[in-house]
Amino acid sequence: MLIKLEGGRIYDPANNINGEIGDLYVRDNEIVAAPGDNETVHRTYALAGKIVMAGAIDLHTHIGGGKVNIARTMLPEDQRGNVMAKGGLTRSGGGHAAPSTLAAGYRYAEMGYTSCFEPAVLPANARQAHMEMADTPMIDTGGYAMLGNDDLLLQLIADGAEQQTVNDYVAWTLQATQCIGIKVVNPGGINAFKFNQRALDVDDAHPHYRITPREIVSKLSRALYELNVPHPLHVHASNLGVPGNYLSTLATMEAAEGLPIHLTHIQFHSYGTEGDRKFSSSAAVIAEAVNRQANVSIDVGQIMFGQTVTVSGDTMAQHANHNHAHPHKWTCMDIECEAGCGVVPFRYRDKNFVNALQWAIGLELFLMVDDPWRVFLTTDHPNGAPFTSYPHLIRLLMDRSFRNDLLGEINPDAASASHLGSLQREYSLYEIAIMTRAAPARILGLTDRGHLAPGALADITVYHQHEDPEQMFANPMLVFKAGDLVVEEGRISKPVKGTTQVVRPEYDPAIEKEIGRWFERYHSISLHNFGISDDEMAEGIGSRVTVHPCREGRP
Amino acid sequence: MWNNKIDQTTTAVTCPGCGLSCDDLRIETGNGRLTSMHNGCEQARRFYHSAFDNIDRTPRIDGAPSSLDEAIDKGAELLLQSRSPLFAGLATDVNGMRGILGLADRCGATLDHMNGDAILRNLRVVQDNGWFTTTFTEVRNRADLILLVGSQCIERFPRLVERVIHPAEGLFSGPDDRKLVLLGPWVGSRLPDELAPLNPTLIPIGLEALSDAVAMLRALVAGQPVNTGRLDDNLGDALRGLADELKAAAYSVICWSAAELDIPHSELTILGLAELAKALNRESRSAALPLAGTQGDITCNQVATWQLGYPVRTRLQRGYPEHDPLLNRWQDLIERGENDLLLWIASLSSETTPPSCDVPTIVLGHPGMVFKAPPALYIPVGVPGIDHQGHWYRSDSVCSLPLGKLREIGLPSVGHLINRLHERLRSASGEPVGGAPC
Repeated sequence: MLIKLEGGRIYDPANNINGEIGDLYVRDNEIVAAPGDNETVHRTYALAGKIVMAGAIDLHTHIGGGKVNIARTMLPEDQRGNVMAKGGLTRSGGGHAAPSTLAAGYRYAEMGYTSCFEPAVLPANARQAHMEMADTPMIDTGGYAMLGNDDLLLQLIADGAEQQTVNDYVAWTLQATQCIGIKVVNPGGINAFKFNQRALDVDDAHPHYRITPREIVSKLSRALYELNVPHPLHVHASNLGVPGNYLSTLATMEAAEGLPIHLTHIQFHSYGTEGDRKFSSSAAVIAEAVNRQANVSIDVGQIMFGQTVTVSGDTMAQHANHNHAHPHKWTCMDIECEAGCGVVPFRYRDKNFVNALQWAIGLELFLMVDDPWRVFLTTDHPNGAPFTSYPHLIRLLMDRSFRNDLLGEINPDAASASHLGSLQREYSLYEIAIMTRAAPARILGLTDRGHLAPGALADITVYHQHEDPEQMFANPMLVFKAGDLVVEEGRISKPVKGTTQVVRPEYDPAIEKEIGRWFERYHSISLHNFGISDDEMAEGIGSRVTVHPCREGRP
Repeated sequence: MWNNKIDQTTTAVTCPGCGLSCDDLRIETGNGRLTSMHNGCEQARRFYHSAFDNIDRTPRIDGAPSSLDEAIDKGAELLLQSRSPLFAGLATDVNGMRGILGLADRCGATLDHMNGDAILRNLRVVQDNGWFTTTFTEVRNRADLILLVGSQCIERFPRLVERVIHPAEGLFSGPDDRKLVLLGPWVGSRLPDELAPLNPTLIPIGLEALSDAVAMLRALVAGQPVNTGRLDDNLGDALRGLADELKAAAYSVICWSAAELDIPHSELTILGLAELAKALNRESRSAALPLAGTQGDITCNQVATWQLGYPVRTRLQRGYPEHDPLLNRWQDLIERGENDLLLWIASLSSETTPPSCDVPTIVLGHPGMVFKAPPALYIPVGVPGIDHQGHWYRSDSVCSLPLGKLREIGLPSVGHLINRLHERLRSASGEPVGGAPC
């Protein structure tokens, strides 16, 4: 099957194509070069006046795993208020802040997304994360395994283990959990909370292991670098949500010692203590630090006003915030000497000073970080807002007058405490294509997607041109997933299943002996039943594995 | 391949006999028979023997033997005729449940698990309130005070002591230094052999009085003025002592089995226990350990929750999920005659036969089932962890363990059968084969 997408306006930043009119050809699941004259084109889509981009990639969205299921369990009202009936082609489901897996998959595809990454896969819960993602139709998925609060690694570091041992353990974890990256959440802090410690700053010693979050970040970021794993350490920094935490965030950047590091939902980590309410924006300082350090990338974790639910591995922070729960119910969990999770429903209100300033801080970060290749469009779904708010967020970035209109509606003290009104920048379509396609593919090491050159997977989104970017991005005209036309005019036209994206750095299998001893002595499951094989992924869990290459050469 | 190979590694077999899901069983088989078994409890032994002793895979239509194809035809016919089916039992593995949910969506079925009562006792607390829980490995290594509520935790989860409460060693708290308190109806009953050597503190109390005692504990922990004297002297003093110990503990664990708490408004008692654990976290660390998972209830519920957004007791009759923890109780639906077909799925135990009811019943059941009256259709199914690979959730809802395959005698899995039924319904309505919605 050869199809032609004819005459669309193409935005493909990975190949320096900025709105040029052109044709694309798709054979089966791949983008191909223009065929010879003697080849038959089976189907042509006339796309004059339409916008063509690669399928969008969300590199940080909580779509699978135990904490999401706890959120669903705790919030039947979220389902009740957002019903999704079955259709001729689609299953029923529902939910807004914590959608069912089916609803999440359909809605992502309907917005032109073709790959999504769950950033907090607990190793002990990896099967569930992958099973939920396998039941999230339409999109390819992947996960980042959580390390850095597990007693095994903290003990290794405390005992002065060689970097090589840490590397082997990290690589083994990636393989056992079928993940593509490693995330650390509140380094050492979740673990310290189990020892009844309520805060742990970057240079504080852990109450039991006497090591610091800085050392954990340093060891893990070096491990990923030395293993040639494309995605840098994905860091949810210390002191989430705490006024003054921008200092912890700066210190966390430093802890990488110049090696690549990704700071996630950095909006929640960019708070100062100025002003009458001792809560202020430090977005300028953080943006300046990002601009200055080329090894640092961020995603924003923008908040939007309305009801959502916060789900996080950071039990220390979630427990500290449980009094803000709305509706007033919350769940926390300590998990398997690995980490934990906390689920706290929350309603962000535009008239509330803190919430309004959080909204402004996120936008300040988007607008003050110069390089769109190093800042990613996320709401930390569902923590800042459900992912369905992305089209609205894109409009906020692209349309200054719209942004300033909304700035006029939020808590006036917050509006006047923010630089937002003075920021002139408006994102271009090219920059939006960078931050939602080209850049996430590059930072995850996915050479097969995020661009439209021959050889790429035919994940393609076609938009109607519209004055209002929110309208444009909410309802794509066409979405192709691996060459299949899966969405037409914003509605599912063909349900498909994706695959699981992983990386496989090599490691010395001797580490398994050490891990095995630990499991035998302390764990409640055996090492034999811990790791997930490729066959199990394909036939049991229900999602085939796609292995992506590690970077080439010695670091 | 994963789906077909018979498990050669028989040293780390996961047992789906209860929610503990011990995965250290050593099992040897020969000629399709169980020849030896190590590490399993009596319950596990019964589970494996009952499966290995039953090898009849003959489907039966109204009690008469049939071929599998005839049985599938009959099942599809019954499903096509039904306007309001009830899918209940739901004792199966993850892929069985996935199939069931797809079929239920198509048929507009109502879903409940055989343990729905026990499940909802806990879930209603989560739905209204949330809780603070922990998992087995944390308790093994961290707990310094364990409060076991009720008196059946060991009976229902036989290796709880060895696997969780008192392992050989712990990272942060020595198992021998662990304090164990038993709060429940222990009067006149002998302590289980596993518990007696741990020298537990006994606070005997009837299940009906638990709610009051837990409320008092919460008040004591909160530092409220409490008249413990209104209870029996010993009980009041014991609760005061327990409150002090809970406050002083570095990591206390409050453990119960909702299935045991078969008392009116038991969700309020559980709410009290959940709130007690939450409150203790203001100053120290504490967590609840609700024990469950037997007959795949956690497994069923987890899959339902991610695919439908709701746990069991959800109906799909109107084309979308509607959850009601009271109205959709399977026993009451049958009693009220609200359904015109019962699909009863029970792959784990021969004893979980379907309830008698006035509507046609399809049973996808354990191969050892014996019926008082033959159902309209009975298809013996493979036992997860014996006849086919699968996934199974432990009590704590976190660890989904792989189940192995120990024999091949041609018993189909629930997932396989349901998918065949689904395909048959699709072709009956002229839809393309192999294109079920995903």
